[in-house]
Amino acid sequence: MNIRFAQQEVEAAVGKLQSADIVIGIPSYNNAKTIGHVVRAAHAGILKYFPQFTGVIVNSDGGSSDGTPQAVLESKVEDSHILLLNTPLKPVNRLTFPYHGIPGKGSAFRLVFQLAAALNAKACAVVDADLRSITPEWFDLLIRPVLLHGYDFVTPYYHRHKYDGTITNSIIYPLTRTLYGKRIRQPIGGDFGMSSGLVRRYLARNDWETEVARFGIDIWMTTIAVAEGFRVCQSFLGAKLHDAKDPGSDLSAMFVQVLGSLFSLMEEYEPVWRRTKVSEPIDLFGFRYDVGLDPIPVNLERMLRNFRQGAQELGEIWEQALQPDTLRGIQALVAAAKSAEAQSTFHLSDELWVRIVYDFAVAFHHKPIERGHLLRSFTPLYIGRVGSFVIETKDMFADDFEERMEALCRTFERNRDYLKAAWSRHTIPDPASAPKHAPTSKEISQEVQP
Amino acid sequence: MIQAFQSILQNTFDRLFAHANLYLPSILAALVILLVTWVVALCVRWVLLRAMKATVIDNFLSDTGLGPMLGRVGRTPGARLVASAVYGFIVVLGWLIALDVFNTRLTTQIIEGTVFLFPKLVTAGIILLAGFWLARYFGRSMLVWACNEELPHPRRWASAVRVCVSFISIVVAAQTLNFAPSVFLAAFVILAGGAALAGSLAIGLGSREPVRNYLTQKKDAEQEHEKAVWSHL
Repeated sequence: MNIRFAQQEVEAAVGKLQSADIVIGIPSYNNAKTIGHVVRAAHAGILKYFPQFTGVIVNSDGGSSDGTPQAVLESKVEDSHILLLNTPLKPVNRLTFPYHGIPGKGSAFRLVFQLAAALNAKACAVVDADLRSITPEWFDLLIRPVLLHGYDFVTPYYHRHKYDGTITNSIIYPLTRTLYGKRIRQPIGGDFGMSSGLVRRYLARNDWETEVARFGIDIWMTTIAVAEGFRVCQSFLGAKLHDAKDPGSDLSAMFVQVLGSLFSLMEEYEPVWRRTKVSEPIDLFGFRYDVGLDPIPVNLERMLRNFRQGAQELGEIWEQALQPDTLRGIQALVAAAKSAEAQSTFHLSDELWVRIVYDFAVAFHHKPIERGHLLRSFTPLYIGRVGSFVIETKDMFADDFEERMEALCRTFERNRDYLKAAWSRHTIPDPASAPKHAPTSKEISQEVQP
Repeated sequence: MIQAFQSILQNTFDRLFAHANLYLPSILAALVILLVTWVVALCVRWVLLRAMKATVIDNFLSDTGLGPMLGRVGRTPGARLVASAVYGFIVVLGWLIALDVFNTRLTTQIIEGTVFLFPKLVTAGIILLAGFWLARYFGRSMLVWACNEELPHPRRWASAVRVCVSFISIVVAAQTLNFAPSVFLAAFVILAGGAALAGSLAIGLGSREPVRNYLTQKKDAEQEHEKAVWSHL
């Protein structure tokens, strides 16, 4: 593949290296504190598990001001001590470049992929720069299925705290599984392994300047891989420990980018998901074990307040996106969110949640209102759902939580026909038919229950 | 006496007859023109609605949110919009032609005024349309943002934004039409200046400490957000 780079130093580095078997990409922005550990893990991983291959670690940086590139180049790996090896090893090269274009994770990945293609790498892996739990084994698990087993795309499978990855748990995993029929537990995990064929497919696409340039990249990569029939598997990586935050804070932009990317791809791959009837598990590599996880604090009161305010203020947008039944269901919950016992009794049912997600996907497709407004107006609903899920699962252990997730996914799959029908039906809900008052809970239960 | 009365009546009827002779053919001709142009306008609209796809316009209306704002949703809002515009244009043209039949100073002035004003009217209409669209867009942006940021009274913020943007577009449209420009401009300057002064006083006198705390917290939150945000998915 003939690739021209915007930066001369990248061109020069490619000319000097000529080729590499493995390329590991680490996107970063002000990650000086943590990236050293990630780079050491990557370096050690290549030396230990792929001594016969040449490897390159590429840091694609977004203009850090805290010395992240220096941290990449200066982090030390004591080969013999860490790896317990005395055999001569091929050196692992490290490169760090600032990427050009729209600032974001996707643009950082693009540079990594371009380098991988220019170096004719057989396999490429990408990992986040702020991981605290990453080990050299992660790279074995992300790269070996590609190099030695013929897989094209390796997704991560982690143990995560039940309140971590809430966008994944609430929407991305269930919806991806329903649409494309593959049970990929962490479709936007951020740590992936890829074959050269898939990397070239990514580079051949022309939608890099969209939400893909930012946080939309992960779901974009996963969706293309599953929808276009590339061989996909998962690798168990243990715990994912990072600087987790309250899921109710500072997520609007990220949420919009991920959801925008997912819904846009639904339009492109409509023929694929229309054919999907059931979902199936995919191969899982790695030795599974239980780990302790950092607890994640959540502010339930703030979540419910945010949901309540959204329900009271965003009616003019929601009534154009949601079907009247769905809107009635939401309005009935407002009273519940106001009650004194809300922090223990508030419940947004799976059925209603699935309808909300599907209605928004359909509205995104038919565009009754501007897409940015539509997706941003989804945030309070998502926060409300997370709040409900937190209340429901507060006493659950990991296994129970996964069973609960499975039940949610089944609800998504059971309502697949609702999505298909609504997607085809070119009608926008008539605001006149929207409820003018909150109906009783009895009315709601009669309407939203199957 | 009777003869004089007869004479007056006779003269009156003669004048009426003369006027009728003078204007009736013109009125009839004008009515015929109006009728014909109306029928033509109906036919053209009917043909356009059935023949034109206007996919580009549909996409534009859909992407920008102009379709719902104009009350044009459904399968072919673009075709409907174009058809309505052409229909309106033909009807107005019919009226002008019908007026021209009378060939008086007044009708000529009306026609000249209309022709002279037409480009300005179209420009002002586009400015108003764009202004109202922007007002709606920014109003909604403010509404959603204020809601997600948990600010009090999001709808009031949104309404304030809508009013401000709409008012600006009205000022610009009035300027284009040269319609009481100084009045609108003065009102705008007073409004904008008053808002800026009120905001400055409110922030400067009443909210120094809370604003400082808020900005500090916001900055800290943003720094924290930048560090950790990629791993929340």
